[in-house]
Amino acid sequence: MAAPLTRADAEELLYREALYLDRRDWDAWLALYTEDCVFWMPAWRDETTPTADPDAELSLIYYRGRRNLEDRVWRVRSGQSVASTPLPRSVHAVTNVLIEHADAASADVAASFTVHRWDPRSERQHVFFGTYRHRLVRDGDEWRIAAKTITLMNDVIPTVVDFYSI
Amino acid sequence: MDLASLIDDRPEDGVFRVHRAIFDDQAVFELEMARIFERGWVFLGLESQAPGPHDFFTTTIGRVPILVTRDGDGKLAGFVNSCPHKGSRLAQTQTGNARLFVCPYHSWTFDSAGRNKNVKWKKAGCYAAAFDADGHDLARLPAFASHGGFVFGSLSADVPPLAEHLGDAARLIDLIANQSEQGVELVPGGVTFTYDANWKLQLENCSDAYHFTSAHPSYIRILERRREAPDASVTRSVWEKDAAWSEETKGVAGGSYSFPHGHVLNWGRIAPSDALPLYESVDRLAAAHGDAVRDWMFNMRNLTIFPNLQIAENASSQLRVIRPISAGRTEMRTWCIAPKGESAAARRQRIRQYEDFFNPSGMATPDDTVSYENCQRGFASRVEPWLQGYARGIGASVAGGNAFSDPIGLSPERSVLADAQLCDETLYHGYYREWARRMAGAGAA
Repeated sequence: MAAPLTRADAEELLYREALYLDRRDWDAWLALYTEDCVFWMPAWRDETTPTADPDAELSLIYYRGRRNLEDRVWRVRSGQSVASTPLPRSVHAVTNVLIEHADAASADVAASFTVHRWDPRSERQHVFFGTYRHRLVRDGDEWRIAAKTITLMNDVIPTVVDFYSI
Repeated sequence: MDLASLIDDRPEDGVFRVHRAIFDDQAVFELEMARIFERGWVFLGLESQAPGPHDFFTTTIGRVPILVTRDGDGKLAGFVNSCPHKGSRLAQTQTGNARLFVCPYHSWTFDSAGRNKNVKWKKAGCYAAAFDADGHDLARLPAFASHGGFVFGSLSADVPPLAEHLGDAARLIDLIANQSEQGVELVPGGVTFTYDANWKLQLENCSDAYHFTSAHPSYIRILERRREAPDASVTRSVWEKDAAWSEETKGVAGGSYSFPHGHVLNWGRIAPSDALPLYESVDRLAAAHGDAVRDWMFNMRNLTIFPNLQIAENASSQLRVIRPISAGRTEMRTWCIAPKGESAAARRQRIRQYEDFFNPSGMATPDDTVSYENCQRGFASRVEPWLQGYARGIGASVAGGNAFSDPIGLSPERSVLADAQLCDETLYHGYYREWARRMAGAGAA
């Protein structure tokens, strides 16, 4: 019987995801996700409550299926999106990693993030911050991301926010 | 210098040019706030944002915070969201419910009809008689009215009636408001973003068919990728059958209508299909409003109600409120607008189509706003101060309507019928003729 996820396992995976995004290693980043993954950044219903039902309320990003993340990666690689060319630089800092649930097959992991973004074109920097919740599932010897929820606390967006800066 | 001279409008010579200073001169901006935003009709919100007794929502007119509140009898009214005592903002959230607004600073209290109910420790205050001679209620908006559930207000009483201000553009609001017998609502979850460029770039972009294939090739290509290999994980596009921008599209692909007071519409033909969430009502809408109105409800339509409201019904349906912050900075408050009572499946489809295209976290809007910022940098030049982006379509613009507006009784001031590549720029003339009218006589340093 496989062992449940440990906090070290969770930190390894979350830090690796952050590193891949900051290195622009998009293929490695996509490979962390299951094919049927959910990638979700809710909007805010009001000053205190994020939206909770993606089918009846708006999200900043909501995708069901890795194929949609592949589209987003294609777009920033394509050279056909002025907002993505040149790409801003970013550094993800992932902290406060806690396992909220774990069994042999799956785990729920809570974490906090800050992403510092520097956009050379506009000579502006910005810090996005919020929380992550990852649902991880065992895939053989590895853990993959079956669902990621990004709760962005500072949701007045300065011009652009994209998957690489959250 | 008269600011109206920054618009070089000479129809007899086939010339329409706009001076770069209207976009980046802060003195011009201050006069725009005073003369356009703070002295005319401005969109405030939807009646459905405050549906029940004592519900309220907040917004701004120019630089001024505004409170729109429904009293206990269900009557909606607009006030300056500022305590008469020290000026503090009273309501501090975008929406809410309050029988009483108690000022958080010194506890002056107002009811949901704006009436002062209490001045704290009034008797002990040793006020002079002159204080009692003053009213202590919230300052009521001098003009406040709505059309089809869309609420407008003005900080000046010196405005025409709202019906006159909207003119026939009101028919275009009706095309949105009448999609459901219950009216329209904002999907929960508003999205706010800023960009470092002038507010009029947003005004223009909504009406700009010319940029679409240039600014959004990545989005268009992704729609194609999805269409080539559809599955349950990807969202269908409203354009899967009709692409108004496509070079293969033959004949009339759409066009533009301009109305007095700066309101404009650009539109493209989209046939009713089940790729559109409204399709579930296709027969009901024809029965209720006739085929011509029904077909218009499915067309792609980008509507601007000057100066601050845009409703874009293209990839999905968006309501945008433009809030200018400075000559070089703008805040956009945006929502998915939807007919009340649509099915859960239609609502889900509408939301998915919205997020991809309209959000600042989506795949189209960022390519617009970054371009606005590039324009703003370029506006600094006065080497050739006159911009050349207002000339397409001058040879096609005609007075009055055409065979597409007539069947729905729409009487625009001017119209253009366009093939896929005309990409009319004369509809901006409507913005800037109104701008010049409102700014005429104002001088800037």
